[in-house]
Formats: sequence, structure tokens, C-alpha cells
Amino acid sequence: MTGAVDRHAGTIGVVAFVLIWELAARLVWRDPGVLPAPTQALAEAWTVLTWDVLLGHVGISLFRILAGFSIAAVLGMALGLACGWFRGLSLALRPLVELLRPIPPLAWIPIAIVWFGLGEPSKIFVIALGAFFPIFTNAYRGITMVSPVLFRAARTMDVDGLRLLWRVAVPAAMPDMATGLRVGFGLSFGILVAAELIAAERGMGHLIMEARQLGHLGVSIFGILLIGVVSMLADHQLGAAIRRTVGRWARV
Amino acid sequence: MRDVPSQGQAFVADARPGVPAIDIQGVGKTFATDPVGTAPVLGSIDLSIRDNEFVVLLGRSGCGKTTLLNIVAGLEAPTSGQVLVAGRPVTGPGGGKGMVFQQNALFPWLTARANVMFAAENRGLGRGEATLLASDLLRLVGLEGVDAKYPAELSGGMQQRVAIARALALDPAILLMDEPFGALDEITRNEMQDELLRVWQARQKTVLFVTHSIWEALMLADRVVVLASRPGRIVLEQEISALRPRSRSSLPLVALHEAIWEALRER
Amino acid sequence: MGRRLHHWLPLLVPTLVFVVLLGSWEWAVAQGWLRRLLFPPPTKLFASAVELARDGVPLGKTLLDHLLITIARIFGGFAAAVALAIPLGLVIGASPFLDRMMAPIVGFCRSVATLSLLPLALVWFGIGEASKIFLIGYGCFWVMLSNVIAAMRLVDPVLLRAARTMDTKPLRTFTHVVLPAALPRIAAGARIALGVGFMVIVGAEMIGTTMGLGALIMEARTFYRTDVTMVGMVTIGLLGLAISLSLSQLERRLMPWMPAHSGAGP
Repeated sequence: MTGAVDRHAGTIGVVAFVLIWELAARLVWRDPGVLPAPTQALAEAWTVLTWDVLLGHVGISLFRILAGFSIAAVLGMALGLACGWFRGLSLALRPLVELLRPIPPLAWIPIAIVWFGLGEPSKIFVIALGAFFPIFTNAYRGITMVSPVLFRAARTMDVDGLRLLWRVAVPAAMPDMATGLRVGFGLSFGILVAAELIAAERGMGHLIMEARQLGHLGVSIFGILLIGVVSMLADHQLGAAIRRTVGRWARV
Repeated sequence: MRDVPSQGQAFVADARPGVPAIDIQGVGKTFATDPVGTAPVLGSIDLSIRDNEFVVLLGRSGCGKTTLLNIVAGLEAPTSGQVLVAGRPVTGPGGGKGMVFQQNALFPWLTARANVMFAAENRGLGRGEATLLASDLLRLVGLEGVDAKYPAELSGGMQQRVAIARALALDPAILLMDEPFGALDEITRNEMQDELLRVWQARQKTVLFVTHSIWEALMLADRVVVLASRPGRIVLEQEISALRPRSRSSLPLVALHEAIWEALRER
Repeated sequence: MGRRLHHWLPLLVPTLVFVVLLGSWEWAVAQGWLRRLLFPPPTKLFASAVELARDGVPLGKTLLDHLLITIARIFGGFAAAVALAIPLGLVIGASPFLDRMMAPIVGFCRSVATLSLLPLALVWFGIGEASKIFLIGYGCFWVMLSNVIAAMRLVDPVLLRAARTMDTKPLRTFTHVVLPAALPRIAAGARIALGVGFMVIVGAEMIGTTMGLGALIMEARTFYRTDVTMVGMVTIGLLGLAISLSLSQLERRLMPWMPAHSGAGP
């Protein structure tokens, strides 16, 4: 009996949380305009939203994330690895990166709007910029921290030059690169929401802002939970992909 | 220009009668970071190793034995003197000098078989040949059914077996071993010594083996070379003619253990 | 001679790169290759920084006013989150059952994008300070909570067994063994939480307020004062740097037994 309770502790927690929320909203607050119960939020979303509209918002958000994150992943890994391998490049480029890094990604939103206007490029720019730094830093650290014994072993097997980079240094840096990708991916969701709240006509962030303005607080809450679920699912997918590849030989 | 024989060619073919497999000539080493006035890591070492001989370098930590091994491997350059392998001066690593390290130096992202294949492919073998060779060598070092496992899934002893197979896949004329069993427990260590002797007898390699264990030296070596530190120098050279497998209770070996112990303690 | 140059290279090259970059930026604007409105040149930025610090543009509030407001909001939210998360985390972390019960909730609330709560915050707390502090607090709280829980679960069992062999009373074990052992991870959590708070504040200030550094850079844009936006960004960056530096100083004070985590180990 206790064994079963113990095994389903997580489920119990979630059910209890939802139940407390439901009861508090219906019995204590009693004002869906301030705190809708979960069932009320769902019902409101069901009546206000259509599948087309909902999928449109989710789709455009995912497109922005994918575009921004892909740019960040390619640039971050390539430059991070290059900086870690070629000392001269690192001397020139890293101070620049370190200089820009303390500026939080969201602080780039106004300037991005000035530079790129209110369309897609400004959002993709800010997402790419935010995700770039952790990806770059981790790739750089990964390749500079490779155990020297691996290089020595490779050299006893006649491996040097670019082959040493490609066959030894890059694979050895992969666990760190995977960490960078994961952190960068998580960041890009936060940035996306901010960018869509502040300046967008579509997307999940825009959905929750607009719903509030129209007085549909339940739809807002639905949107908030939706963003949480989507980001969790996406992160889960990325994590699984990493475990299937790098995770087969390293702890990630 | 590095002196690398054409790929795929067996390096053993280079061995000529009368030419030592490894010839260490007046090798000295000083580190740039050493304070002025300290004795050099290696004074001036002369040592000649015959084809297929199993030589063990024995000494305390810091006596320069690993430095000497690295110089033979071409991973470090001597401050003075030179090393000839099969009559040719060593100018860099590679070129058929297999090496096994103390730490796990397997590539963690490659399976056991792929680690061995990596070495085989580096000397020009095709994929098919490399696969066959890797399976053969893994069997030779006593590993069955772990081909597809990653290093992290193997025990320390198994990892070092793979490392030996990987070094052998280079088809090297000489095999350099830097305390390869130093991180293993004593039981595994003894088993690995037996395995190594079996492999050595099967494949006929010249072996230069570094250790700080007197018994390990006595069980393995054709010749034990005892080093003392600062300046690193040879204080005792002893041929061991006892037949293998050797026993720790054999009286000549016990006597030798005593003699080496004395040589190490005097300094 | 050669060695001396080698010694200075890591300092020289970045400085050179920096100078060349600023110089060519200035030059490109002067040549008309970069639009002055979009990329105000470094000299203009410097003049704007002085103007902003002395007189304040565009709304008469100086840079320091904005800065202080932002700092007050960050620390308000952060302090509230830490004050709540530490005791709660210690309790949850002490019980494996509670830990497993709360894990999905903590995980989900953590992955909810903090700024997405902004509409709710506006309904619940209006557009004043409270809603900003709520958002920062929310972001910091879940990060902090999950780190405190993890810190408790990761205390080395050997330390607990050692304490038991010395007949240590439970309360004393908690205060003298568990807490110090968990402290480094709790401190690391606080550092991450403050970083999150710092990210949230900039976004939160961009909507429905005219005070704070986030508002400054957003407002300046509507007045076509790109120079002010850029000065504000640099100020935000410097603030972030100052916070993380002072935090690592504090950590060293608080935990003298921990090795300073500067770069790579041996």
C-alpha cells in the first residue's frame, strides 16, 4: 500500500496541486476574472480559440525558435570550436564575446527593432543572440579542456593537423557542446515569449497578452501552460536526442 | 620532414640484424621550468635494446623514467643526445611506435572495436581489414563479446586490454608502456601481467615498460634497468634469465628483489 | 624580449581589436556607410552617456535614477524568493517522498517562461512595482527551490554516517553538517537565480512602465534615440557584471573552505 503511494508520488503531487487550485478558485476567490479555475480556463479556451488559430500561434512561435536556435547552434559551435583550436582567433574574438555577454538577451530587443523592424528578423536575431553565448562558451570550454592524454595517444597513432581536430578534439568536446545546446535552447524559449509579448501580432506570447486585453484571463492561463508544456516537450526531445547520441558514451 | 614509412607497410621489416631495436644515446633532459642549479631530470642515459627484448625501467616516482619513455615515443624532445629506433633517429611520435598510457587514453566516443580500428585505419588498412584485425586483436588480449561496448562500460582492466590491442593494431616494431597497470588492483594487475606476456610471446615485439613495482619488473622483464633520480641515471642493469611463467617464491628472484631494493634505497 | 612580448600578447591583442573596432565604427559612420541613426558612433555614445548621467533624457530622469530603480526591483524580488525558497527547499529536500511528490510541479513551474506570467501579474498586482517584483520573484523562486532541494539530496552520505558515529544530535547534524555541506550548491543556486532575475527585469520593465533601465532603452527607441538605447544596454551589462563579481566575492567570504572557482582546475 505504502509502496504504491510512494511509486506514484509525482502523480499525487500534480493531482493535489490542480485540486487545490480548482477549489481555491471556486470556493475562495470566486472570480474567474482574477483567478480562473483550471476547468474554467480550459472551458474558456475551448470556446474562444479554434484549432486553426491555436496551431497558427504555436507554429509561428516554433518557427522563430527553430530559426534563431539553428543560427545560434551553427555559429556558436563553429566559432567556439575554432576559438578553442586556433589561439590567434581566440585572442581576437573572445574579448569581444566576453564584452557582449553580460548584456542580457532581452536588452537587445529595442535595438533589434531599430535595426530590423517589427518583423520576423528582429525576433530571430534576439533569439539567436541569446542562445549563441552558452553554445559558444560550452563549445570553447569543451575543446580547450580535452584531456591531453587523448592528444598524446592520437599522436602516437600518427594523427595530427586537421585530422586531430576532426577525429579527436571535436568528438571529445561533444558532451560540453550538448550541454551548451540544451542551455541555449531553454534560453531561447524565454526570449521568444518576451519578444512576442513586446512586439508581435502572432505567436504564443502574443496570444496570452491579447487574451488578457480582451478580458479572457482563462485563455491567458491556458497560453501560459501551453508554452510551459511545449517548451518541456521540446526540451525533452532535445535531451532524448542527446542521450541517444553523445549519451551512449558520456554522461550528459 | 618526418621519417614515416609508407602506409600499410609492416615496420618489423625494418629490423636489421645487428642494429638495436631501440638505441638511447646520451639522452639528457632539463625542463625550462626547473630552478637554476637543480640536477637535470635525466643526466646522460645510454641504453641499447635488442629486437624482441622485454626491458623494464624501474624507479621511484619522479626519477625520470616516464620522461625517458616519452622521449623514446617522440612525445618529448631530449635536451641532449638522441634516440634511434631501428637505426633511425626519433623526431616525433607515430611511425610505428605503439604506446599504452597509465590513464585510460581510449577515445570515449568510440566503441572498443572502433578504438582498435582507429589505429588500424591510420596505417592505411581498409574498413574490412581493420574490422577483422580489430576482432583478432581483441580476442588476442582476451576480450570476447565487448566489441560494441564503449570504454565507460568496461572495467579498468578491460580498458587497458583494449588499449594494448589498439597499440598492437599499429603493427608497431616497438611497444612503449607507461605504468599501464598502475591504476589496477593487485589481482587484476597480476592477471594482466600474464596476459601481456602471452601477447608478447605470440606477437614478438620489443617492449619498453615503465613501472615502480619491483615484483612487476621481476615477473615481466628480460632485463631490468633501475633508475635513480636527479640526475636521472641508471644505477643497476640486470638480465633475468629465469623461464616464464615465473614464481614469486623462486629463490633467485627473491635474491634479485633484495638487490634491486638495496639499489633503490641507497639513493 | 621575445618572451616579454609573449607575456603581453593576451592583453595587447584584445585592446588592439577593441580599438580597431571602435575606430572603424566611427569611421564607417563618418563615411556614411553606417546610418548614424541606427549605429550612433562611439563618440556620440560617450556624449550621450554624459548627458544621460547629468541631465537625463528623454524624460528628465538620470541614468542613476533608472539604475537604482532596477536594482531595487531585482533585489526585492530576489530577496523574497530566497526567503521563501530556502526553508521550503530544506523541508522538501529532507524528505525523499516530498521530493518526488513535488518534482513534476517544480520542474514544470521552472520551465514556464516567467515573462509569460506578465498578463496575470498585471491583473493581480496592477502595473506598479508589485507586479515587477512578483515576476522577478517567480523566476528566482523556482530556480532557487530546485537548487536547494538538489543541494540537500546531494549531501555526501559519508558525512552523515560520520556524524552518527560521533553521537551527533539530529538538530546539530542539520546545523553543523547538512547545512554547511549543502551551502555551496545553495549559493550556486542563488547565483543562477539572480541571473534569472536580471533577465526577467529587463523584459518586465519594457512593458507598462517608464522607470528602470529596461524602460529607458525601450522608451528611447520610440524617440529615435538609438544612442540612449545603446548606453542603457551597456549600463545593464555593467550592472550584470558588477552583480556577478560581488556575488563571487560574497561566496568566498561565506565559504572560505571552498576553492575559488576561477577557470580550470589542474
